[in-house]
Amino acid sequence: MDITAPAIMLTLIWGIAIGCIYMLLATGLNIIFGVMKLVNFAHGQLLVVGAYLTWTFSVSAGLNAYVAILVSMVVVALLGIAVERLTFRRVLGGDKLNEIFVSLGLIYIFENATMLIWGTSSLQITSPFSGMSLNLSSISITYDRIIAVFVVIAALAAFGLLIKKTKIGLAMRATSQINNTAMLMGINVEKIYMITFAIGAALAAVAGGLYGIIFSFNYQVGAMPTIIAFAIIIMGGLGSIKGAIVGGLLYGITEQLATYFLNGLWGSAVAFALLIVVLIIRPRGIFGEKGE
Amino acid sequence: MQKKIVAIIVAIIIIVATVAALQLAPQAPSPEARNIKIGLVAPLSTSIGQDMARAAQMAVDEINNAGGVYVKEWNTKVNITIINADTIDDSPANAKPPVVRAVETDQVDMLIGGYASAGTLANEVVAIEAKVPFIITGASNQLVTRRGPQGNYGGLPEDDSRRITDAEGMSYMFHYCTTTYHYSKTVVDFFAEIMKPMVAPNRDFRLAIFWRNDPFGQGVQQATKYWIEQEDLPIEIVADRNYDPATLNYQTDLTVVKQAKPDAVFVVDNPDKTPLIIKQGWNDVGLKSVYIGVENNQDPVFYSLLGQTGDGQLLESKLDPFMIPSYLPAVGEYSQKYNELYGKTPGMMGADTYDAFYIAKDAIERAGTVDKGKVRDAIEQTKMNVMLILTETGKIEFSTGTNYHEIDPITFIEQLYWDTTANELKSQIVWPQTAGGANLKQADFKLPTGYQAGSP
Repeated sequence: MDITAPAIMLTLIWGIAIGCIYMLLATGLNIIFGVMKLVNFAHGQLLVVGAYLTWTFSVSAGLNAYVAILVSMVVVALLGIAVERLTFRRVLGGDKLNEIFVSLGLIYIFENATMLIWGTSSLQITSPFSGMSLNLSSISITYDRIIAVFVVIAALAAFGLLIKKTKIGLAMRATSQINNTAMLMGINVEKIYMITFAIGAALAAVAGGLYGIIFSFNYQVGAMPTIIAFAIIIMGGLGSIKGAIVGGLLYGITEQLATYFLNGLWGSAVAFALLIVVLIIRPRGIFGEKGE
Repeated sequence: MQKKIVAIIVAIIIIVATVAALQLAPQAPSPEARNIKIGLVAPLSTSIGQDMARAAQMAVDEINNAGGVYVKEWNTKVNITIINADTIDDSPANAKPPVVRAVETDQVDMLIGGYASAGTLANEVVAIEAKVPFIITGASNQLVTRRGPQGNYGGLPEDDSRRITDAEGMSYMFHYCTTTYHYSKTVVDFFAEIMKPMVAPNRDFRLAIFWRNDPFGQGVQQATKYWIEQEDLPIEIVADRNYDPATLNYQTDLTVVKQAKPDAVFVVDNPDKTPLIIKQGWNDVGLKSVYIGVENNQDPVFYSLLGQTGDGQLLESKLDPFMIPSYLPAVGEYSQKYNELYGKTPGMMGADTYDAFYIAKDAIERAGTVDKGKVRDAIEQTKMNVMLILTETGKIEFSTGTNYHEIDPITFIEQLYWDTTANELKSQIVWPQTAGGANLKQADFKLPTGYQAGSP
């Protein structure tokens, strides 16, 4: 195999593009963990619901796929509120095992519900740019991948502003530090939990919409992105948004470089090996803080 | 004396009449008569598994509504009952337990189905050990029928755990489907005969194999190499790349394939993944080649996911349920009935399964019993007219005696085209011209628009 500069550059682009989607999913997962101290294994199922809803809005209502993502984001955020109020709120703060089993149970509920509603066939969302590529000399990349990167940047920037510049963001940060103190300061912690879960779900829905445009999906695809998102937040540092961003990029680029130099069988293996190395050198992750 | 003779004659007449009456009188069915239980081995929560289940139900309803299956031993016709053995995702771990339940708890008379090679290689062991006839309609890895002494252990090394030494148990396995050897031969023959003169008249044809790393992919990859060498074809494999079957992200692997400058890419994956590979290759990586998939992709999902990018690409197949009018009237009727019943277009795996239930009926009626050994013998002697799958002899026949049990299906190459009126992807047979006495070819093969030939 000839190792060429354009091929390496393309590999890096693939790594960044796929890393961006994982980054978005990991950020949602991380904010839920950071504020609520909740490990939600069913987070990937919210991605799947987001993909299905985007598909439905673009096919049934004839919406542009990227507009459909916005609508699906709102619906999945509302679904997130329902899930938080009906399930996690009942067990939050108790035995961690209860929270874990609730999230595991939700995986099956979501999988079966999506299968009953949308069937078992794999689907792909058609965007207005489907099949169109930007060709630069020997490099070719689809417009959908480029748009996906910009959508992720926009979503994360909006999320960053919300956290840093709004009262809700301030309350979320306070709750993430010590929730009892936040409560004593007059913050409605339960409401913050609800908003946090809704934001996490909305980010998963955006990731799902982009995933459905770039890849195909069915009711079973939620598991692998969840595992990868967990790897990313552990590598980047639990509860750290910066960690999720850097972790997502590191994971995506490492996976694709390993695929290029070895082959596709080694992509995930090498990326997870990197996770182990990071944890050996820095057990709390790249940006993790003591005590997390 | 005369009275004595008359008495004897009368007595003989009475005896003969009584025997005749007894023979003519309808005999009661045996109290042992019961429905025939056939286990359907399929991943029922997948679109292909559901296609198999729908086709199986269609065949069973037809058979039962026509009176059922005559079992001489029971002196009556009985219905067939399907026992579902849901293999979930057809992974080896999930594919075996439902077959154990079907065989041990439900005590099925026969098994039909099996989709993924990996799952079928795991669960057929249950049928081999229990000596239950199993008509395999999906898994294409030739090991499913050749890993015993009859198939010379499929060429497996002596210490390979997949070898089966129980020759009698293996004789209960019947492969009613194309093997990886069948369709790999069709693919390389097509490239050598049709495409090479068009794109590489003065050099070897440059082929890339891009395959999922599992028994199915391995089987195709090995068979492709085997036929190129066996037939001494002017084909050079310039890229041989495999990947994790769980991945959906193929661009980097395809970038490596592109660097090898192939004339065509042989993609070995399932209907939900092959379209992604072709789309990522053509649109993302700019590998403007001819892509060919194999017949397990003959499924509505493949056509809908691939869409317009599929224009000009190829598919090896042995059945096309999408063509109207069909190249084979039976296929057209099957597709129409299936569509009326379920509101869907059938896939290929269901068609194999549909035929297999008729093969089972025929074998049980000829055996006159549901005794598994006798049914096995009867399946070996099957000589039915072809149904949905064309064969070289025009008959459904399994190789017999000490040989492994496979059919000899006709496979062909289809080229996909984008129908601008219907706004959907369709297909037509481009090779061979004729096979098994049928005229198959519907159009000439044309290179896809934008195709770029490989180069050394």
